[in-house]
Amino acid sequence: MTEDKILWTAQYVEGDLNEEERLAFENLLSHDEELKQHLADYYDIHSSLQMELANDSNRNTLVETIKTLNKEHFVAEQPKVVKFNPYLRWVSGVAAVLVLGMLIWEPWRSNLYKDFNVVPQMTVAERGAEKTDLDNAAGLFNEQKYAEAKVVLAKLHAADAQNAMISYYYGVALMETTEVAKGRLLLEELFNGQSVYKYDAVYAIAMSYLKEDKKTDCKFWLEKIPKDASRYEQAQNLLRKL
Amino acid sequence: MAKKVHEDQRYLVALLNNEVALVNEIYKKCAGKVKSFVLFNNGSADDAADIFQEALVDIYNQAKYKNLQLTCPFEPFLLLVCKRKWLNELKKRSISPVTKNEDDLLHIGEDTFEQAEALELQKEQASLFLKAFEQLGERCKEIISWSMKGEAQEKVAETLGVTYGYLRKKKSECMASLVKLIDRKND
Repeated sequence: MTEDKILWTAQYVEGDLNEEERLAFENLLSHDEELKQHLADYYDIHSSLQMELANDSNRNTLVETIKTLNKEHFVAEQPKVVKFNPYLRWVSGVAAVLVLGMLIWEPWRSNLYKDFNVVPQMTVAERGAEKTDLDNAAGLFNEQKYAEAKVVLAKLHAADAQNAMISYYYGVALMETTEVAKGRLLLEELFNGQSVYKYDAVYAIAMSYLKEDKKTDCKFWLEKIPKDASRYEQAQNLLRKL
Repeated sequence: MAKKVHEDQRYLVALLNNEVALVNEIYKKCAGKVKSFVLFNNGSADDAADIFQEALVDIYNQAKYKNLQLTCPFEPFLLLVCKRKWLNELKKRSISPVTKNEDDLLHIGEDTFEQAEALELQKEQASLFLKAFEQLGERCKEIISWSMKGEAQEKVAETLGVTYGYLRKKKSECMASLVKLIDRKND
């Protein structure tokens, strides 16, 4: 019976019923919920299929419009070309030579890491007279005794791997000692997460590459820092210098 | 309870009628945001353009064939549709995204979520229907696809070399088999 109703619905919609049959259908429709559902389903399937199969000239024109606008609005970033007047052209020429000279001389090169590496300070909320491992770790870390801090942090990290604060400082401590790769891995995990240390982790990774003079990697990470992150200004400054 | 149609429905009308000026306004409002989202999440400007285009065509389709009525503002709706599309694309490329789904979307109204979800659902459904359609016999496929092209049914009958009456009869039979095929899949 259900299947007959489906066929009947199709015949009704497609105009394949005679007057008498049509009236009988509509009469039943007024109180048969199942038939109502069949009719709604029929329209649903019919319109979806039409959406897929129609040779829609309006849609084709719209796609043309979209393609044109895409070219305007989705161009890859390109440097702006600024036209100089002749006087400025001379000045800029001289300036360019000076800049080139500076680039060869590179008076700032050795200091980039020193200038931009921020030594993080680990702050831990005071919780009472008793000194916890976390307090110890913070103390050692802030005195830049990274090797010792690392041992305590490793223990804390093993106990609570989800703690973003511990992961961050542990990662930095690892990188400050000899375990750079391991530290980076840990910080990358933070970057993939959503903690407040997300972009601090990115910055620290960038610093570790700068320390090794791997500028491309350093840039790659710096560029991940978005405008609203606290490290953004610093990252942009450094990017300009690299 | 019918919700009030948002005044931004005019953007849907603009898509339907290919009103270039208003479509351009959509770009001015939203293209930059979609671009930075995609760029920030391992994509290129071209990826962003593709996503944007697909989203606009989807919205056009739903407006035209599914009578989509916008009950939320257009901009967050389009941005959400694009974001979801890009996150799905990343999933396909098996890259885990930087930004979580609901990230920075907290200020978006419930309506917007519902409408974006409905859009995605209906699109999935349409492709399932299309798959069922592909399973029909050749003659049925021919009749249905011709009658869906958008031309007058009398003309379709002529093209197929049958009478108008025969076309209606055959089309109802074929559509009924299609509906049954889809019903069986859903059971």
